[in-house]
Amino acid sequence: METRGQKLRATVMLVFIAFAFAALIHSRISAYSLAPTLKQIDLQGLPLWLVPLVYLADYALHAWPCLLFAFILAGLMYEFIPKDWMTRHMRDSRFKGYLLAAVIAPVFTVCSCTMVPLFAGILFAGAGIGPAIVFLLMAPAANFMTLLLTGELIAWDIALVRLLAAFVTAIVAGVVIARTPWGRAVQAEFTVESQAPGGRVALVKLPFNERLWSGLRFSGYLVRRILPYFVIGLVAVSYFVAFVPETALAPYLTGVQGVIIASLIGGPLYTPTLVEIALGRALLDMGMSRGALLSWLMGQPYDIPNMVATSRVVHLKVVGLYAVIALLFSVIFGLLYSIVTGWV
Amino acid sequence: MAKTITAEVFGPDPPCHRCQLVHKTVEQAAAELKAQGLDIRVIRKPIMSREVVARYGVLVSPALAINGVVKMMGAVPTVKQARDLLQAAAKD
Repeated sequence: METRGQKLRATVMLVFIAFAFAALIHSRISAYSLAPTLKQIDLQGLPLWLVPLVYLADYALHAWPCLLFAFILAGLMYEFIPKDWMTRHMRDSRFKGYLLAAVIAPVFTVCSCTMVPLFAGILFAGAGIGPAIVFLLMAPAANFMTLLLTGELIAWDIALVRLLAAFVTAIVAGVVIARTPWGRAVQAEFTVESQAPGGRVALVKLPFNERLWSGLRFSGYLVRRILPYFVIGLVAVSYFVAFVPETALAPYLTGVQGVIIASLIGGPLYTPTLVEIALGRALLDMGMSRGALLSWLMGQPYDIPNMVATSRVVHLKVVGLYAVIALLFSVIFGLLYSIVTGWV
Repeated sequence: MAKTITAEVFGPDPPCHRCQLVHKTVEQAAAELKAQGLDIRVIRKPIMSREVVARYGVLVSPALAINGVVKMMGAVPTVKQARDLLQAAAKD
């Protein structure tokens, strides 16, 4: 039975969530730019210490509805997605396993601390190396916090192509690796054949208001975990925008060369969650072609911390192979996108 | 009522912040109930071990199992929720 107090608490939380949603919708309707508007010319006359502050203020003013909504949604999705149903089906190594790993799993994996255990779980529990790799490559590219920010801060067509490109890359990498001897070796070593008796999953049903609260608490946790790095990243980006001459980089940001350079740098250069989007936006303003930007954004799954984390679970050869496949596809998609859009 | 209740907390190694939080919360609830005479054991187990996966399948970290049944995953209980779960297990 829900008591009056529980209903009240649930209502207060729903109003807050509705407010965040309304703020995002309102900014869309009023065509208020969610991306920052400052250009190099605005930042250049400022004293050194003021540059990041002005840039951050501009970001905060413009991007807050998007960030607020993204964090809230991330927390709520994580809470309300039927985890027991999902994890039960993740042990399937056929088509369903791949599809689930690619489509549903990344939706709620906004933080790497849940990502690697899930990767290992999928690998151990019987779905094997293929779906595990698919999950690993999709998670950073396709969680909707990344998508929402890519869409709002850069462009929605880029966000959707990024999603599609990540999907194709992940499936190809998963299927290929599952067929290599190294992949098979990993699978043979790790897969737990028989389900030991005794264990059972029967999640408790909690009242709606407690689940809402739990979701919002997770949002708060994500804010604490992601936002500080995002702010530090923005400080770096602000100096980058202010002092790198706008025309100096242009030759390296367009054409075939631009795509290849973006792919090569996008991965190994470690950018904390969401910062790759802010930096990508700044590069776009400096004349980076959209194809190169796509390659840049696709670099995320093979960045170094990700590879280090997975190499603790699987062999380095497998990690190397998926990095090569991801790099290759990041180049291919960057070029394809460039051709389709006419190298803009 | 001398039955032992086993609470298992699953998380990755090195422990993530939320897994430690679950552990602390359950410990606290257990301490309150121990004062009332219940016998509770709280154990931490690595979520990425063959043993855990063989027993429970894929889990979302952090997860909490009581007497071999996963009650929560991907969520941090409040002290009250943890206490209710432990008490319910004591009545079984």
